[in-house]
This record gives sequence, structure tokens and C-alpha cells, in this order.
Amino acid sequence: MIMTTGAEPVIRMFHVHKRYGSQMALHDVNLTVLKNDFVFITGQSGAGKTTLLRLLFLDEVVSQGQILVNGIHLQRIRRAKIPFLRRNMGVVFQDFRLIHSYTVYENVALVLETTGQQKRYIQKRARQVLRMVGLEDRLHAYPQRLSGGEQQRVAVARAAVGNPLILLADEPTGNLDTTAADMVFDLFRQLHTRGTTVIVATHDSRLFEKVQGRIVVLNQGCVESKLTV
Amino acid sequence: MNLTTRSSIFQRVRRNVSTTPYLHLATTATIAFSLLIIGTFALVYTNISDLIRSWQDNIRVVAYLSDGLPEGRRTSLQQRLAKLYGVGEIRYVSKDAAMDRLKRQMKHRLSLLEGLQENPLPASFEIRLVQGWQGWERLDPLVDQIKQLPDIEDVEYGQAWLRRFSQFIAFFRLASLIIGVLIVATTVFVCTNTIKLTLYTKRQELEIMSLVGATDAFIQTPFYIESLIEGFLGGLIAVGLLFGTYRLFISRVQSPHLLLSSGEIAFLSLTACGALLAVGMLIGWFGSYLSLKRFLRP
Repeated sequence: MIMTTGAEPVIRMFHVHKRYGSQMALHDVNLTVLKNDFVFITGQSGAGKTTLLRLLFLDEVVSQGQILVNGIHLQRIRRAKIPFLRRNMGVVFQDFRLIHSYTVYENVALVLETTGQQKRYIQKRARQVLRMVGLEDRLHAYPQRLSGGEQQRVAVARAAVGNPLILLADEPTGNLDTTAADMVFDLFRQLHTRGTTVIVATHDSRLFEKVQGRIVVLNQGCVESKLTV
Repeated sequence: MNLTTRSSIFQRVRRNVSTTPYLHLATTATIAFSLLIIGTFALVYTNISDLIRSWQDNIRVVAYLSDGLPEGRRTSLQQRLAKLYGVGEIRYVSKDAAMDRLKRQMKHRLSLLEGLQENPLPASFEIRLVQGWQGWERLDPLVDQIKQLPDIEDVEYGQAWLRRFSQFIAFFRLASLIIGVLIVATTVFVCTNTIKLTLYTKRQELEIMSLVGATDAFIQTPFYIESLIEGFLGGLIAVGLLFGTYRLFISRVQSPHLLLSSGEIAFLSLTACGALLAVGMLIGWFGSYLSLKRFLRP
């Protein structure tokens, strides 16, 4: 990962609207995220935090407006190119989305297997990341045998293992105790230090003190304020 | 595709088979059953076709001559016959030779022939056709040409009934083809739905793979490999069962030479067996293609 201090935008959202039927989830959102930014998206439940993240990795498509990620226009991207866009992003899902028939190690290694990395590198890197989240001794456990907090850490390890350019995390510490939350957040900080742009959707205001970043407050689908802390 | 991706794909093939063994068994059994039916039709068809071909190859045209034909005119007639396109060997059978042959054939009822004052049988030319020339569409014009020659009283070819039988075989072939296509289509439909069930049980896994950056090829390849293996195994089972049944059938048939001129009912050729395996794999592949196409539709 190349370290940069430049201010080139990696994500740009122009007048983005997202509707689910008659319900407006996001309304006229304009947002620019610079390279190596650390951005918190916050707001109450139903404010549109998760929707905003899902639009960025094309789990959803905008109803109106434009989104550019690394200069790629998400509304014009070809289907075959979507996997390559997603490989530049690590995503921590709120509901973890782990594969239950895969072990902890296999869940994390899968990301590197899809990119065709060497087996030796996969083993080394997957173990390294799992060590960083404190799960080195649970490599061969299946997700259903893990606590909610442990599953969340596996999800974080999977998002981080590919050294992504952008890390998107949806309530990454929601199920964690203070110690585990700190461990996960340390991992985010390390990735950020190496140049990764980190976007965390959370309503946990304690996290804002842990890192210098920007806070985007959503309210009923609209950007209410943008702060720098 | 590098070694890691390949190994990951084969690992997923193993995992898929072990997590849903009954669905895979059902697919393999469906393919095997369909190919068994198709193979049976092919076996019957090839043997009957071979039989007809061998009968056709032995067709003789008999041209009966006018009574009291002088030798000079007979020789000239034979020369004219020999010049006709498609005529091979010509053998002259005199009135006496015809009577001797009849007596040999009726050796237990010779008394029937004893009352004859004179030999009523005509002299004839027995005409064999050039090898590989035979065909109904060519035979009729040739017979017409022979009939028009002077001193020819009548022309007949004993295997005329073969024509009707051949028409039946042509119908059988068409019916087999239609039934074969219907069976293949039904099997593809069944396979598509079985594979859809597998995909449905794995939908969460596939969705997650897609979200972490797996390409469609990475996601789909294990399913194609599984289907090809199932198709191949289905084909092997079908050929095995067909061969077993064939052996059982042959051992019970008394004097098969009564049925076939070659004396034996032949099993499918290696090429035909290979074609059955290929059809099995094709059915599996196509079933996967249809279900994956619908399942991964954006």
C-alpha cells in the first residue's frame, strides 16, 4: 500500500438519492472523501448510514445522482468490472456475513483466493491479520461456534486482509466489549496509517475520540452536518 | 487461472458435493437414466441398420429371358446388361439349371415335379449389383432399364419387401431422434432445477463471495465442474447398465444368427459410447449454464 498525504478524492457523491419504493433512504447527499481520510458516518438508526455504504460497494444502486469511486463512475461500470472494484474495498458488514460452512481461516483466506494470490502468502497474511484481531487460536473454528464479538472480528479480519484502498465498516464495534473494540479500532488505525481510506458507519460517539477524522452526520437520509475532529 | 484459484475451486467442488450429496446423486441418476434410454434406442437402431445394410448388399436382380432364346442373342443381351451402370456380376441360369435348383430345394416333395411334361422354368440372368452402389432410389431405374431390353420377359428382385422395412426404419430413426431430443430437453430441465436447489442452499455463500470481489467465473466454475463430472458419471453408469443388459440379453437369445446375417447383435461402438458420455457432460453443462445464468442475473 502506498502512503500518501495528497488530497485527491477517492469517493465523490453528487446529489445522491436512494429510494426503496416510496420511502426515501438518502436525499440529495453530496460527499467527497479524500485519499487516506478517516470518516465517520453517524446518525440515528434509519438515518441512511448503511444505505450509503452499500451504494459505495454496489450492493445497491442509486435512484438518482452520481457516485465516483477512484474515478470509476458506479452507474456506468460494467458488470464484469464490479469484482475488481470490490477488491479495492474491504467491507465489514453489520451482520458479519460470514460463510458458515467455512472455517475462520477459510473465510479470511477466501478474499485472497479470489485474487489468485500464492498459497504461501495467503497463509501468512490470513494468520497475520487474524493474530491482529486476537483470533489466531480460532483458525479452524466455524463461525457458529464463535461469539458475536468473535464473528465481528473475523469480519474485520476479512475486510482488512486484502490491504484495501478503502475500508467500509458498518457498526464494526457494535457487538464488541471495550477491549475487543479497541483491538479492532487499532487495526483500522494501522490500515489508515498505511494509506487506507477508512469510512466507519457508527452511532458510537466514543469512537470519534480515538482517531482524527471527519464526521458526517446523517438525519433522515440527508447530510445534516460535516465536522472535523 | 493460477494454482491457488484452481485449488480453491476444486476444494469448493469437494465441499459442494459433500454438503449436498443427495442432490448430486439425483442429478447423476437422472442423467444416467436418460442416457440409458437414448443408448437403448441407439443400440436397437444401429443393429437394425446394420442388418438392413447387409441385406441390401446381397440384393440380386433376376431377369427372366424369353423361351428359346438363341445363344448369340443371349450373349449380346448379357453384354448390353453388363454395360448398364450399377450392374456387377452376371450369372446365366439355364432352364435346366433352374429346374435342378428347384429340385434341390424341394428334395422332400419331388413327386410334385414328376408329372411335368416339360420344364416350365425360364432361363434367367442373376445380376449382382456393384458393391456400395445399392440404394432404393437407384435400383428402380435400373430395373426399368433392364425391363426395356429385348428378350427380357420379367424382372424381379426378391428383397422388395426390404423397401417397406427400410421405410419403417427411417420412421424409427425419426421417432428415436424426436424422443431423444425430448429426453435430453427433459433431463436438462430436471438438472437445471436440481442445480438451482444446490445454488439456493448456497445462495448466501455465493452472495458473500461476490461481495468480497469474486468474479462470476470464480463463483461459477465449481458448479460447471460438478455438472461435467455428474454428466460423465451418468454416462458411465448408462453405458455400464446398457452393456450389462446387452450381455444378459445376448446370453438368452437362442440362435441369434437367425435374426442377423452377421450372426451377432453388436454393442455400441466406442465412438457411440464416447458420444453418450459427451451428451451426458453436455446435459450437465447446459443445466448448470441455465441455472447459473438465472441465479446470477444482476
